[in-house]
Amino acid sequence: MASPLKDVKILDFMWVMAGPAATRMLADYGATIVRVESPLRVDIARTLQPFRRNRPDPEGSALFGNCNAGKYGLTLDLGNPRAREVIFDLVRWADVVCESFSPKAMRAWGLGYDSLREIKPDIIMVSTCLMGQTGPLSSFAGFGNLAAALAGFHHLTGWPDRPPAGPFGAYTDYVAPRFTAIAIFAALEYRRRTGKGQYIDQSQTESSLHFLAPALLEYSANGHSQIRAGNRDPRFAPHGVYPAKGKDRWVAIVCKTDEHFRTLCSLMGRRELAGDPRFAALPARLENAEQLDALVTDWTRTVDELEMEKRLQANSIPAHVVENSREYLNDPQVVHREHFVELSHPHQGTTFVEGPRAKLSRTPAKVGRAAPTLGQDNQYVLEEILGYDAERIGELVAAGALG
Amino acid sequence: MLSPYRVLDLTTERGLLCGQILGDLGADVIKIEPPGGSPARKIGPFYEDLPHPDRSIYWWAYNRNKRGITLDIAHPEGRELLLRLTRGADFLIESDDVGRLASLGLGYEDLRALNPRLIYVSISPFGQDGPKARYADADLVLMAAGGPLALTGDEDRAPVRVSVPQAYLHACADAAVAALAAHHERVASGLGQYIDVSAQQSLPLATQSGILAAPFEADQGLRIAGGVKLGPLKVQLVWPAKDGWVSLTFLFGSGLGVFTKKLMHYLWEQGWCDEATRDKDWIAYGELLMTGKEPIEEYERVKKIVSSFTAAHTKAELLDLSLDKGFLFAPVTTVEEVAQSEHLRSRDYFRPMEHPELGRSFLYPGPFAKFHESPVTYRLRPPMVGEHNRDIYAGELGLGENELAGLARKGII
Repeated sequence: MASPLKDVKILDFMWVMAGPAATRMLADYGATIVRVESPLRVDIARTLQPFRRNRPDPEGSALFGNCNAGKYGLTLDLGNPRAREVIFDLVRWADVVCESFSPKAMRAWGLGYDSLREIKPDIIMVSTCLMGQTGPLSSFAGFGNLAAALAGFHHLTGWPDRPPAGPFGAYTDYVAPRFTAIAIFAALEYRRRTGKGQYIDQSQTESSLHFLAPALLEYSANGHSQIRAGNRDPRFAPHGVYPAKGKDRWVAIVCKTDEHFRTLCSLMGRRELAGDPRFAALPARLENAEQLDALVTDWTRTVDELEMEKRLQANSIPAHVVENSREYLNDPQVVHREHFVELSHPHQGTTFVEGPRAKLSRTPAKVGRAAPTLGQDNQYVLEEILGYDAERIGELVAAGALG
Repeated sequence: MLSPYRVLDLTTERGLLCGQILGDLGADVIKIEPPGGSPARKIGPFYEDLPHPDRSIYWWAYNRNKRGITLDIAHPEGRELLLRLTRGADFLIESDDVGRLASLGLGYEDLRALNPRLIYVSISPFGQDGPKARYADADLVLMAAGGPLALTGDEDRAPVRVSVPQAYLHACADAAVAALAAHHERVASGLGQYIDVSAQQSLPLATQSGILAAPFEADQGLRIAGGVKLGPLKVQLVWPAKDGWVSLTFLFGSGLGVFTKKLMHYLWEQGWCDEATRDKDWIAYGELLMTGKEPIEEYERVKKIVSSFTAAHTKAELLDLSLDKGFLFAPVTTVEEVAQSEHLRSRDYFRPMEHPELGRSFLYPGPFAKFHESPVTYRLRPPMVGEHNRDIYAGELGLGENELAGLARKGII
């Protein structure tokens, strides 16, 4: 059974989350990925939570491991003149070069698209950064939480009577990687049919705005600027996250139809509410949503969360426990779907990553191995991929090109 | 880029984005809706707040670059027409309730027999199998089931979602990635395959790997207003500004602590803190707090200083500081401000699409990336109900006027 991308070779200069999360998907599909890391400037992902038992360790970040499984790791000091020959040889080897530095960095190293194209005319190069390669904010560098704020996600997340809660963490880093991978596939297809490579400028903000398309179009069409609405939805009521029995336990419940609401009233032992003019029809329920939520809460507070999910779902009412990591790990559906994958790891013994997010029937994605430790594959890349002999590798080491 | 390929898009409101992505890349996407139009057209907001199937802004948002036909696939004659279309299709995308299409004789196995090259993509709330495969779903319910909700919101209130539904968009984007991976493989093998995408499994990417806390035996994040609580630390990511809020990454460690150090030096220069505060070990600060070597109260005191600083400046001033000095401030931007962004205008981001039937054009979010050799183009505004029935049924399948009229009379198209 062949891997879908066994013929695809990627030279990957990306770091932190947005970029590496994209090439992780391609690694699962069998692409050969050489991930270049600076020996001098640590990949910030290596410094971020979660860590095994909370102990910070550059070889123990779950985030780094999750984003880089299946890749080969090569350390190169891009500022070292001897590193350039290695990079150029890797460019000749690669189909795709990806980078996620702030604009200008690659050009400053002499590694801009025009330079790479001279070495390999049909190279595909993807630059992904927060705001794109051009425009007044192109030099704005930082992390996905900042792009998420700039893109409008924060203003649209939280309670209308409170400051914005914001979506968790670096939200554009969750959206953009899918589009990076899609862009690479599209460019490979185009090259296959035309023989032409190309340069791709991805603004993570611009990709992520596709996830806010209805709000942006509504502004264009009606001049209305949507703001955060808590958990309310104009289509449904009840529509909320309700406290279950116990401390800080929550269940999301959505009644999509009057029928759902009537059933809920029965389950709550409050049949009379279904006929109450304040709640009988959707417009009234929306109007009186606050009172309604209070009544639903009176019931939910008395019911165990899992029991509530089961009883509501058994009656076809959309409902689910709010799962944090522990609940997700033990969710029978997640277990059934084998979401988490255990891998051996040179420092940790074993480690866990999330498995591929799509199941392909004939050529399934699979996680090859744990993310590389810093410089783990220097020898393999130089000797096996580039065919360097021991003497040449020794010179590179002596020159400090590998750090 | 995908112009030689045809996509049959049978998706319900759950799966619309996937086909649009392929359409943006040039594929010939045929959106197949039930007679009368997709129920997704009933989702607001509506143009001029007038509910109508051709005025649904939700529909517009995810159906650009598609042609649209109506077809009752549950009717034997409708099914037959779908089978004819399937013979010439490269991709089929669906997001129906699990098992519905198979019950109509339109499951993957049925269609593979007709067209072994077909890539058949199913997008569903919990996946095609498992104990919750037939669970009832909603955006909020999936945000709960997939991890992001637990991490979002004020600690004294319920966890809270993004007000623009997100859950299925994550699944749709993953489905597009998988479809293109399968396509790449098909070029070599000549064979299609089946793809099963679960929104519950697409969503944990939005926890920044926080979903791995339990298997790593680490503290899991907990929601707090404008940030996240990690162990004893209340990490604040949203800060007050004079005219709204800003996001600021104020974190520690060998990667991010460098930025914090630089910022604290600036605050000292500007008279906002003393030297001792400036000179804390910002690289090791997180560990100092976690191990109790630095009291949490001290961290809270520093946060108050930073907060006073941000509150004394406008969003624009703080963004300028980021650009000048490399700080990590970004304004919390409103939809209106995004729509009017000078930066996005300079990149020609928003693209006008004419809706001739409404006599005006609307600005759509632009291409998700700038392809220098093969740019994404917005060729087709979202289809009106049954707009391309004639093109497809008469033009391609060669049905005559009488047959078309008959199908319409029977409510099949």
